[in-house]
Amino acid sequence: MDYRENLKYKKRIVVKIGTSTLSYPSGRLNFQLVEKLAFVLSEIRKKGIHVVLVTSGAIGVGAGRLGLTTKPGKLAKKQALAAIGQAELIKIYQKYFEENNQIVAQVLLTKDIVTINKRHSNAKNTLEKLLSMDIIPIINENDTISTNEIVFGDNDTLSAYVAVLIKADLLIMLSDIDGLYSADPKTKSSARIIYIVHKITPRLEKIATNTGTIFSTGGMSTKIAAAKIGGKANIDTVITNGSDPTIIFKILNGENLGTLILADANNANKN
Amino acid sequence: MMKQGGKKKRIVVRIEIATLSDDDEKLNKKKMDQLAMILSNLQNSGKQLILVSSGAIALGAEKLKLNQQPSSFIDKQAAAAVGQVELIKNYKRYFDEYNQIVAQVLLTSDTIDSNIRIKNTRNTFDTLLDMNIIPIVNENDAVSTADIELNDNYPLALNVAKIVNADIILIKLDANGKFLLVPKGEKKAVAVDDEYELFEKINDICQNINQEKLAESDYPESINEIEY
Repeated sequence: MDYRENLKYKKRIVVKIGTSTLSYPSGRLNFQLVEKLAFVLSEIRKKGIHVVLVTSGAIGVGAGRLGLTTKPGKLAKKQALAAIGQAELIKIYQKYFEENNQIVAQVLLTKDIVTINKRHSNAKNTLEKLLSMDIIPIINENDTISTNEIVFGDNDTLSAYVAVLIKADLLIMLSDIDGLYSADPKTKSSARIIYIVHKITPRLEKIATNTGTIFSTGGMSTKIAAAKIGGKANIDTVITNGSDPTIIFKILNGENLGTLILADANNANKN
Repeated sequence: MMKQGGKKKRIVVRIEIATLSDDDEKLNKKKMDQLAMILSNLQNSGKQLILVSSGAIALGAEKLKLNQQPSSFIDKQAAAAVGQVELIKNYKRYFDEYNQIVAQVLLTSDTIDSNIRIKNTRNTFDTLLDMNIIPIVNENDAVSTADIELNDNYPLALNVAKIVNADIILIKLDANGKFLLVPKGEKKAVAVDDEYELFEKINDICQNINQEKLAESDYPESINEIEY
């Protein structure tokens, strides 16, 4: 069975992009990247595939709007920057999607969607409705009101819960490295990319904690954890380099790029 | 710079999008510009402002080219998710013209039910206000339906006023310059007919606030309870 070939037939995908992929090292937004991402996702939507975008970046954009050069430390400051930055961020996404005649919607979630039934069904119904109208929902955590008790903590986890909520069949996580490596590629020349993962083993989880990116909240281990959440709900995950978003076309065309982590049920079929 | 008379006065502004629209329910950009000017000017004069605005559903319906306003909850929620983007984009555009930075805060009605959420939301508002930013608040309709059910955003404005301990709730009454000022702890509200009178009355109220009375008093619980 060619698992990569299967990716050609995905019908509902969640794409997650992190701050370190969206922005320059200075923290300022990379407009060309946002423009390309909007183009790619709009094209995929036109092919009849349902697309949801989970995006980070509000705090960085908020800091940029205020001309701050250092990262905020205090929670209240972070939340204030998120409130400023989310307004900017959604405006910029809207602009670029509009250029592709694609309507977008903003959906801000808290962990309530996992723990409170009514929130769960409200969020699910809203997202289903938006997808049925060919709209691309753009999701972020509602940082402004998220307290520790109700926080997802990172958008990798949020994107997995969103994928489960809307019964997606693929989660694509855009990162700033090419995928999961067998060792840290920065220190070991023998490190190779792992193109396919049939089962998330404790050994693999250990590899993930030792590699990844140092700038983002997530890094590799939260991505593996997200893939695990998705895997239980029969969702495949691809972790790949998002610096050129057209890579999503190639992945959906079955090319061997990034790390494909197979869903549990998919793996069971092998027997 | 000298700080005048301690704490800055806080005003929660309640806007229904109909008061910024023409008869055909289309947003009147001139009216939004006018509002942004008034609020930016009040902010410049040393007041702290929070804007609570409806309009996501109406603007979403317009964006989606729906012939009529959506009627079911789910249609309204979907329209709101689309329209909130338009709403905040439009406000940003006009506030930007007055060099006023805004922020988007989406709340659910249960924010007021939990002490930790109240504290958290208050901290966010306090931080934004201290940075001279105007938060623009709406209900998070995608996950919550309280405002949709009531078809009224006064309860949200009231909750925000309680959270930030506002001195005044300012209500835009019509598509012209008519406003209603509801000072905290006063039985009677003050109606004003134009923006110049608005500034005068706000300053009057702010100078005459009786701090002792404030501690034990509150705001009208519903829009219908307000007398003027």
